[in-house]
Amino acid sequence: MAIASINEQLLRAVGVGIALFDGKSGNLQFCNDVFGEWFDDAGPGVAIQALFPELDFAELKARIDAGGRHSGELSFRRNRRTLVLAQIISQATVGDESVYVMECQNITRIRELESMLASYSKMVERNTREIQKEKDQVEELLLNILPRGAYDEYKSFGVITPKRYEDASVLVLDFVGFTKMAEQLAPANLVSELNELYTAFDQIGEQLGCERIKTNGDTYFCIAGLEDSELDHRASIIKTASLYRQFLKKRNENSEVDWVCRIGLGSGAVIGSVVGVKKYVFDVFGPAVSDAVAANTVAGDFEIIATDAFAAEGSHATQFAPSNSGMKVLIAD
Amino acid sequence: MANSLFEKYGGFSTIHSIVIEFYNSVLDSDVVGPFFDGTDMESLIDHQTKFISFLLGGPVSYPEAKLKAAHSNLDIQSPHFDTIKSLLGETLTAFDVEEADIEAVLEKIETYRTVIAA
Repeated sequence: MAIASINEQLLRAVGVGIALFDGKSGNLQFCNDVFGEWFDDAGPGVAIQALFPELDFAELKARIDAGGRHSGELSFRRNRRTLVLAQIISQATVGDESVYVMECQNITRIRELESMLASYSKMVERNTREIQKEKDQVEELLLNILPRGAYDEYKSFGVITPKRYEDASVLVLDFVGFTKMAEQLAPANLVSELNELYTAFDQIGEQLGCERIKTNGDTYFCIAGLEDSELDHRASIIKTASLYRQFLKKRNENSEVDWVCRIGLGSGAVIGSVVGVKKYVFDVFGPAVSDAVAANTVAGDFEIIATDAFAAEGSHATQFAPSNSGMKVLIAD
Repeated sequence: MANSLFEKYGGFSTIHSIVIEFYNSVLDSDVVGPFFDGTDMESLIDHQTKFISFLLGGPVSYPEAKLKAAHSNLDIQSPHFDTIKSLLGETLTAFDVEEADIEAVLEKIETYRTVIAA
């Protein structure tokens, strides 16, 4: 078999599309079957630009004759599909004649897979964002009912172990005449009022390192000293109580409903724990809570009452004076 | 929680082959192929990747409204929908998806007949 015939057989057998163009005229001299399947118009003598209008033959010729090569990608529709071909044009010499060899490789599947991967990546990213959003909402919800430390423990270990805090301060606030107000106000109004008040208390307390533990109707409990051991929790709770009182007095000036509070303060050891299995809540109990409840019980209108032990601790004694209740009353805001 | 079919059959590393096969069979079909004469490859693959992943319980949600919008400008009739179902069943069979799982997928796609077909 002649070499030329063997070469032609080889060119026909390879899996890529091969076309040979005359280096002078740019006209097609030969193409294999793979190339022919892609380009119906491919036949001897057809100009390269008739097949590939986007190619500038003069520019191509100048580059290839200077020893360079052309590489690019072209896509076109065939049988409803977008075919994508990687195209390389280089020069070969047959005798004295210059021949441009065009190799076309079908990279459609690669591009399809890339598109699919891009689509899937977007899908997963979106899904991840949605999961993260839900996770954030759950975290926000849990942080509403758990102190940060307890939440972190729950997140890491799946349980919250009861913990004893040796020294913390507790504030218990309730409203004078609440039962009567509950009878007089429309339920929606009452709840709306309480929501507004408790939200304001939460915001004030948060600024001073106090954390709401729970509410029980008109009774609001918060605590300082659980999370930050460096905090002067007595000072924080005194300031918080004072600001609650100021806030209510100020609010009453422009509100249809007058709210009169009584505040009790206590300090000492508390135990913090989640109570319950399914409908669980974080709760604190212990001497500090009992003291604050006792102080709240004897407080008068807009009074802030602390146990003797609370008032005697640290540098806060001068802020308190004896009261008829037998405990100490805060004398200055 | 039970694994989705998407996970059961190997996740994206397997599902991508199913999508490509389905994509080819849809384009080759004389019944439904013409719907995609003017559709570019990226859009069609994007749609089919999401749709098949969705049918198999993969990490994508495909709200009815979106599905309806994607098909609203095409005059898809019930026979076209039947062909799509049939092609999907054949594709899943070719990938050795269990009969019961194929039934489940086809039942799921059936619930979207009125959303996709006119």
